[in-house]
Amino acid sequence: MELKDLKEIKAIIDLMKKNDLSVFEIEKDGFRLKLQKAPAVQTAAATSPAVASPSKTEEAISETTPSTPQSVESLLHREIVSPMVGTFYRSGSPDGPPFVDVGKTVTEDTVVCIIEAMKVMNEIKAETSGVIAEVVAENGKPVQFGQVLFRVR
Amino acid sequence: MFEKVLIANRGEIALRVIRACKELGIRTLAVYSEADIDSLHVQLADESICIGAAPSSESYLKIDRIMSAAEIGDVDAIHPGYGFLAENPHFAEVCESCNIKFIGPSSPSMQAMGDKNAARAFARKAGLPVTPGSDGIVETEGDAIKIARRIGYPVMIKAAAGGGGRGMRTAHNEPSLQSAFHSARHEAEKAFGNDQVYVEKLIINPHHIEFQIVADRHGHIVHLGERDCSIQRRNQKVIEECPSPLMTSGLRRKMGNAAVKLAKSVGYENAGTIEFLVDQDRHFYFIEMNTRIQVEHTITEEVYGCDLVKEQIRIAAGETLSPHVAHATPRLHAIQCRINAEDPEKDFQPSPGRIAFYYAPGGRGVRIDSHVYTGYTVPPHYDSLIAKIITVGATRINAIDRMRRALGEYYITGIKTTVPFHAAMMRNGEFRDGNYDTGFIERVMSSGKLDLKSRPIRLHE
Repeated sequence: MELKDLKEIKAIIDLMKKNDLSVFEIEKDGFRLKLQKAPAVQTAAATSPAVASPSKTEEAISETTPSTPQSVESLLHREIVSPMVGTFYRSGSPDGPPFVDVGKTVTEDTVVCIIEAMKVMNEIKAETSGVIAEVVAENGKPVQFGQVLFRVR
Repeated sequence: MFEKVLIANRGEIALRVIRACKELGIRTLAVYSEADIDSLHVQLADESICIGAAPSSESYLKIDRIMSAAEIGDVDAIHPGYGFLAENPHFAEVCESCNIKFIGPSSPSMQAMGDKNAARAFARKAGLPVTPGSDGIVETEGDAIKIARRIGYPVMIKAAAGGGGRGMRTAHNEPSLQSAFHSARHEAEKAFGNDQVYVEKLIINPHHIEFQIVADRHGHIVHLGERDCSIQRRNQKVIEECPSPLMTSGLRRKMGNAAVKLAKSVGYENAGTIEFLVDQDRHFYFIEMNTRIQVEHTITEEVYGCDLVKEQIRIAAGETLSPHVAHATPRLHAIQCRINAEDPEKDFQPSPGRIAFYYAPGGRGVRIDSHVYTGYTVPPHYDSLIAKIITVGATRINAIDRMRRALGEYYITGIKTTVPFHAAMMRNGEFRDGNYDTGFIERVMSSGKLDLKSRPIRLHE
């Protein structure tokens, strides 16, 4: 395969990702390419017949919605990011229960964590509504501006 | 000596400070905005913390976030670089109250010299000649007119909280004084949040000559000679050289002693610069003091054989002035050209964007202080300085010819830069003769005689 072809295939993969396609098939000048997206892995199968057939250009793009519930949700996750620099705490006190856990429903005003900066405990609000899907930041560890704290679906 | 330093800046000066720290065996913590995630200084620092969105007001000026990062990073000291919070007395105070050493002067001395109008009063008290002008803040247009009549036109209206050439207006006669007065106040309010202005006589076509002083925390203060920064465009320095072609050893002694005297009178510590205007008769007048390391500290380093940033760190750590600094004497001649991401053919319009290809000159006597590299994207949110090129020569003409040679090998593509402008300056007869003043660039640009075409290259792709 030529370098040019590799570049084109990469461009096709990017297009598939962007438009959420699972299968892409193309046949051109005796060259056929089919790309199929598996939940986590992308496989490419390309075949080139030994004898070049008369040129016939065919493009087939099949559009299917992603098959696994996981990937649908991953599209809809929002992130709660840190608005400041400080230390991330999941609860209001060392022995206290965490403000939120995976599965907890939050609204915009729900306090989700504390970020301590310069000895000041700042309550951080969700500023979005949904259900906590993942606790990304680590309790007691420093976080920087823009760092992902939680994912919400 | 400190174990860890936070660099509260970006770009080339952040890299400069990181280099000094690394050579001193000090660990470095870089703070950066979202626009600077790919910046070289962030990559080279031992640790880095994102402190905010791209605008400076959301990141590099956020004292609380910087102090948070300092706390998390457990740093001993903060180097503020230049610009941003470098001359912010409140920031220096906050550092002190958090038991983190601010690498620079104390908050009170910063405050004393930071108010440009109060600094003039200090200078007068210390016996330095100052440019004729108002004795303090000028509140009304009527007062401005009275003062201008006394000292004679042309005059400058300058912001008391100003710096970097902003918040300044010129008036050549009484009719233009009114609008100059109001627009200076307006710009000062917008840029510094303080509309106080004072009036100063405008000295026609002076040389801008500044003196580097270094002071430790044990009362030792020395000056490291002068830098001639007269080549300016819109009050921004563009080319600097050390020593000044105008200087005589007698004048250097007089001005140097005046600079040290002023620094002593305010109990100054660490590195600082005292700016003077020198007229055609070699009379000198104090204008202001900069209580920070400056962009052009490099040429003093080359001529006086020292590392000023390392010295700043040593002084802040409590050491006495290094002997080689305390007894430094000038040798050789150095020139610096500031390379900006600007288009000299379009009135220096900013030219941010991705640098497609970058090759910096080398060879004997060439120094490059730059944070950019091939593939780096110059962000639009900050100043346009992308590199400083410094050449050293045995004589002034050697340094100039070396600069001309080096600029001919300086390839930066993908964005417009001022490299061709500087190359044209190095060929300019008046510059080569040392025959220039602060009005030089304007005259040369309006004469339209500068050849700004750069040679096409074929080194990549």
